[in-house]
Amino acid sequence: MRTTKKAKILRLHFGESDRYKGKPLYEAIVNRCLELKIAGATVFRGLEGFGETAEIHRHHLIRKDQPIVVTIVDTAENLARLIPEVEEMMDTGMIATSDVEYMRIERSPAAGS
Amino acid sequence: MLQKGTAKKVTIFVNEDTQHHFGSLCDSILTFLLHKGVSGATATRAMAGFGAHQVMHTTKIEVLTEHLPIRIEFIETAAKVDELMPTLYDMVTDGVIEVQDTQVVKVASKERPSPPKGPHTETRGTARLMRIYMGESDKWQGEPLYEAIVKRLRLMDIAGATVYRGILGYGIKGHTHKSGRLGFSHDLPVMISIVDTDEKLAKAVNEIESMMQDGIIVLSDVDVIRLVHSRPAVESSHAND
Repeated sequence: MRTTKKAKILRLHFGESDRYKGKPLYEAIVNRCLELKIAGATVFRGLEGFGETAEIHRHHLIRKDQPIVVTIVDTAENLARLIPEVEEMMDTGMIATSDVEYMRIERSPAAGS
Repeated sequence: MLQKGTAKKVTIFVNEDTQHHFGSLCDSILTFLLHKGVSGATATRAMAGFGAHQVMHTTKIEVLTEHLPIRIEFIETAAKVDELMPTLYDMVTDGVIEVQDTQVVKVASKERPSPPKGPHTETRGTARLMRIYMGESDKWQGEPLYEAIVKRLRLMDIAGATVYRGILGYGIKGHTHKSGRLGFSHDLPVMISIVDTDEKLAKAVNEIESMMQDGIIVLSDVDVIRLVHSRPAVESSHAND
């Protein structure tokens, strides 16, 4: 097993209908991560959920408001740069961080098994 | 019930017409194994063969048909085989008994439900959570990588794995995974999450690492609260083939 590095995972929870300057909030956050050269970001859509506004997020016929989770793994310093930016963009939602170890796997396609 | 891991495979060669206490030896051996609670035994009739008497038994000549060889096979733990062997040794008056080491990979039983448990048991403790990030279009020997990984984890008896498909993301490949205008895309981000003990995950990491081309494996410590419900095994769909 190759050695792991210490890092942080950041999870942002909000709704799919949340917007930032006309664009879906999750798209805006991913674009901001790219600008800030964050290692990576992945957006997941949940099936159903509820948060602090006690409003159930689910798939409506006309309005999509399922829960969204964005996960980002990077160093503590990079996440410290990102968190204030994201905080400003998010209206309601939750930001959670935890300690993780990670290993990057990078192989050129030619060297594949 | 036979467990996964090392075991012994016993093969007994006898003649179809060898007698034992006014019955066929083959039947006597199978009855004996059944009464001793052996998890399974199979007798197969051969097409042709010869033994110590140096006479070819074959289905082609009618006179010799009744002497056809029969092979009885069963797999059991070393302790159980040791317990059975004296009697088998005594029973097989004409034939060969052979024992070899074997590796049991899977024991699946559809009919027998798991032993009944309480209303629910709760286990608490620390464990490790592993998240593996990859692309949906990543392949391993022609099949989707996430499927190959889940299959491999199941073979390794990992407690459980869940595959999530993201709707947007970027990472090691440098390009954005995004669904197209009609919502169809075959390269969305995929994440597999696994919770198990540190030792089992360390083994799993080694296997997964060799299967992945690029991606990221993230490990963290978690507290586990596990609920096990006393649902009959027939209802749960884990017995599918």
